[in-house]
Amino acid sequence: MSNVIGIIRALNSGVKHLAIKRFTLRYPEQKLKFVGDGFQFNPETGVGIAGLRGRHILFHEHCTGCQLCSVACEGIAEAISMVKIHETWKHNKKAIMPQIDYGKCVFCGLCVDACPFYALYMTNDYELSSFTKSALIYTPAQLAIKPNIAQDVEIKIDDRGASHG
Amino acid sequence: MTTQLPPGMHLETVDDKIMTLNVGPQHPGSGHMRLIIKVDGDYIVSCDPDPGYVHRGEEKMAEYRNYIQNIPHLERPVIHDSSNILYPYCLGVEELLGIEVPERAKYIRVIAAELNRCIYILYWLAIYGIFLGHSTMFMWPAGDRELFIDLLEAMSGARVTHAYLVPGGVRNDLPSNFEERCLRQVEYFEKRLKEYEAVFYQNPLLKARTEGSGILSRTDAIRLGTTGSVLRASGVDFDVRKKEPYDVYENLDFQTIVMKEGDSYARSRVPYLEMFESCRIIKDALRKMPKSGSVRTKLKPNPKGGNDEVYRRVESGRGAIGYYIVSNNRPEPYRVKISVGSFRNLICMPYLLKGEKLGNMPAVYWGLNYWPVEADR
Repeated sequence: MSNVIGIIRALNSGVKHLAIKRFTLRYPEQKLKFVGDGFQFNPETGVGIAGLRGRHILFHEHCTGCQLCSVACEGIAEAISMVKIHETWKHNKKAIMPQIDYGKCVFCGLCVDACPFYALYMTNDYELSSFTKSALIYTPAQLAIKPNIAQDVEIKIDDRGASHG
Repeated sequence: MTTQLPPGMHLETVDDKIMTLNVGPQHPGSGHMRLIIKVDGDYIVSCDPDPGYVHRGEEKMAEYRNYIQNIPHLERPVIHDSSNILYPYCLGVEELLGIEVPERAKYIRVIAAELNRCIYILYWLAIYGIFLGHSTMFMWPAGDRELFIDLLEAMSGARVTHAYLVPGGVRNDLPSNFEERCLRQVEYFEKRLKEYEAVFYQNPLLKARTEGSGILSRTDAIRLGTTGSVLRASGVDFDVRKKEPYDVYENLDFQTIVMKEGDSYARSRVPYLEMFESCRIIKDALRKMPKSGSVRTKLKPNPKGGNDEVYRRVESGRGAIGYYIVSNNRPEPYRVKISVGSFRNLICMPYLLKGEKLGNMPAVYWGLNYWPVEADR
């Protein structure tokens, strides 16, 4: 008898969920909201600023071509290589800047921690899929573009359960 | 056949009644592994686990990278529990390099570790449900896991491999209004957790399958060297967080969950009850945390450890994880040895499966909290 009551209780607990809001995020139509503009780092205090670790953004006016990001990546993913650029900057005599291969990058953000000149940050852009491997290699010019990502929904909690907007 | 066999080898005597069954090398929810099972009809005569399919040499790799570059690599064995596997490494390196951790960072690390423990246990519970054919118990924890993943994403910036804990504190401070958001989601989760009771744990179908199967007695659990929830389900009151408190666990209010039965049901229930304790720890830590202050001690570039060795351990989702680190005046460690809970729990599998029905094998296997990728490292 107790078995029958147990099964009815289990079924009842499941049936109650018909009246509860759906939790699923309908991804391509809805996109999650993140805190901030991506992971950034303050080399003076040595502490980062919270944010999503997505695609990098490179500020050409700050980058000196010191290669510290590339050195930091060496033992981790070896995704960063320094390439020649066709721009002339007074602070970048060697005229080299990082080029990032997103087929290798693990998005740990230790290159951002290594940059002492506020030149390399991470952004909220996480949609990096492509049809070819070569399109995953981002040149310094591509990295300079600020992404524009729609952010609509976050988890809402009320009496009828949690849902995405 | 008169073929000369090499010394040490012998031919197996074959019994017509016994059949050898290769379970794997497959991916049972966690990583590739194989069980060589001998069955007599429906009953298991012997079981020989065969780990090693996902060995990646993380310990050897750690000898060629400096203390900071090791962080993304060393969390790879358990990506669902990445804060907890980095925790002992950070504690050990801090001791080697003589770094003092700010008070606020200690609390943030405890919160990250407990959130991550919940993520791991919910994933584990989801797979446990689907192993027993209970698809509701797959969907619910997999959905509720999202609450914690979103919280850790706001904290660290990544959904799975966080690389958040570093020697000297944490990578970044908490975002604004994180405390209330965390409190709201954790309180909602506690309410949800109570619903699992009726649909899964008090379900007579689950009880009929798991109660009394694969019993591990208290003496056997200690003798075989098991750890974590397996040990606590056999009635041993041992939790590294209580017995050797690290960071701020001694200031926080929680208790160890112990069950006496030692069967599959107890092993499935202990992690579930531990999630309530994790929620208590998170709420308590949020209350007691200093509201402002530094979160990371600035390290010298390429810090070097002295001629020293250190062993630190913490309680993870699968039991005690220990790191033995040796340094020899270089920026890279001389040796890193990871002692993981999964591997030690695997040892008792042949004992538990002997005489068990083949259909009970998934419940016993997954109840051991065994994670092949972590065990192979």
